[in-house]
Amino acid sequence: MNKVVSLEELAEVVQPGMSVSFSGFAHSLTPMAFVRELIRQGVDDLVLVGVAEAWAADMLCGASALRRMVFSNFMFEGFGLCRNFSRAIESGTVEFEDYSHFALASRFAAAAQGLPFTAVRSLIASDLLAGDGEQRVKHHTYDPPFGGGPVVLLPSVAPDVVVVHGHRGDCEGNVQVEGATAVIEEQAGAGKTVLATVEEIVDTSVLRAAPHHTVVPGMLVSQIAEVPYGAHPTGMYRLYDADYEYIREYVAVSRDPDRFAEHLAEVTAVNHRAYLQRLGVRRLLDLRVDPESGYHLELTEEGWRA
Amino acid sequence: MNVTSEEIMVSAAAAEIADGTAVFVGTGLPMLAAYLAKATHAPGVTLVFESGILDPKPRHLALGVGDFRLMSGATSVRGLYYVLSLLQRGVIHLGFLGAAEVDVFGNINSTIIGGDYRHPGKRLPGSGGANDIASSARATVIMCKHQPERLVERVQYLTSPGFLGGGDERERSGLIGGGPRMIITDLAVFRFDPETKRAYVTSIHPGVDSQAVIDGAGFKVEIGPDVERTVLPENAAVDFLRAMDPTGVYLRGAKELARG
Repeated sequence: MNKVVSLEELAEVVQPGMSVSFSGFAHSLTPMAFVRELIRQGVDDLVLVGVAEAWAADMLCGASALRRMVFSNFMFEGFGLCRNFSRAIESGTVEFEDYSHFALASRFAAAAQGLPFTAVRSLIASDLLAGDGEQRVKHHTYDPPFGGGPVVLLPSVAPDVVVVHGHRGDCEGNVQVEGATAVIEEQAGAGKTVLATVEEIVDTSVLRAAPHHTVVPGMLVSQIAEVPYGAHPTGMYRLYDADYEYIREYVAVSRDPDRFAEHLAEVTAVNHRAYLQRLGVRRLLDLRVDPESGYHLELTEEGWRA
Repeated sequence: MNVTSEEIMVSAAAAEIADGTAVFVGTGLPMLAAYLAKATHAPGVTLVFESGILDPKPRHLALGVGDFRLMSGATSVRGLYYVLSLLQRGVIHLGFLGAAEVDVFGNINSTIIGGDYRHPGKRLPGSGGANDIASSARATVIMCKHQPERLVERVQYLTSPGFLGGGDERERSGLIGGGPRMIITDLAVFRFDPETKRAYVTSIHPGVDSQAVIDGAGFKVEIGPDVERTVLPENAAVDFLRAMDPTGVYLRGAKELARG
């Protein structure tokens, strides 16, 4: 079955009001072309369930596309706070619920196993459980009849749509990821609908030659789109590094809501192809990594600093 | 040799890492402490990173735990859920934690500054793996700046548990991890009273006045009867750290020294 569609068609699956989750950890693996396309299509009122996809979270907050966040940590590692995310909470425009990484990843894992709840030893005695009012973390502290308690029971979470970005995939929706896989396996297992963007769509025989890189089996994936540099400005291990020049600029403009609004309008005004054309071939090639180490060897100190 | 307070912090943290153990490491000074320990007295330590990376031999300093530079030479590269499960499994001996706020019982806030949870003055990134480390690592080491707004009597929001309200409150809570072993600041080292679980000063860094340690904290500082001077790192250790971080990504003080 051929599941290949365009990025535009893929993004149309997400409708206002839905809950979504994206692959990503720090400055890597995030389906940012998809996120920009969602913003281009004007989708809003979304619930983001997110462990570490800081880039998706901050941009969707900046676009006022979220109604609610269920999350564990959003920060720009090495560059400080996600300003749009912080502002959204400080201004009271987004509802939210805090978890630890393990607690939220466990909620995904439980959904991926078809279970209604999970048990964790995290969160005990912390204010993550003590949250106030209607948005307090839903939990139940439990002493199992088999001993070994207490544990904290948390409901599983199955987002309406999970979007992952991979190194390569095939027309049947198999997705390969190289390097650390963040929370992809648990998210993809949990999603009611799973969508994939990949750097390239290849023949299935290419995947068969290295099946250990396949982290999402095609049977779980509804639709897939080929989106080169689809993680930009985040990076893909062994392909291209995070665009630290862009990250610096983004972090600087996002300190001011008006300047950020201009920036967002600029990067979402055009489709992905035009976005890449605007970045230019030179810049894209400069992001390609040293094939042996899997990262860029020539980043300057300025590239590292916010 | 001029040694910076950051280098003293890193060296004190490295000394806590025992050979043959498994250590959960985050971005920044703990990363350097882990590399120093592994290169010297703890070659058999397994370093575990939240991003899913086990025991790398990085050739270049990583900007964070998600940085591809951290994958170099790793013995295993997995996912976040897998490595955080190791904590809950109880096989991580030591975890490192930073803090926007840490209180006298070693509880940590990395969620809000000012206001309340629903209406914070400033919203911080949130727990991440910190609550998991604080809950389930067999012991933790907290590293942060020595500032009155950071070292507080009680945290505004308890993101990650230390000894809760002190005494045996943590033991009774059912948390499996042993809790904080120490707080390392840029001025001093605190450990926790075995009974009350209140932090008290066990060593003050060379060149630091004890009054600065007292004045620099937001809680009432107790100085232990056997207080010592923090051991300075050997020159070779300082050289190692500066070679690991030549541009001062984490060792900003060393960079300033180099500039004169």
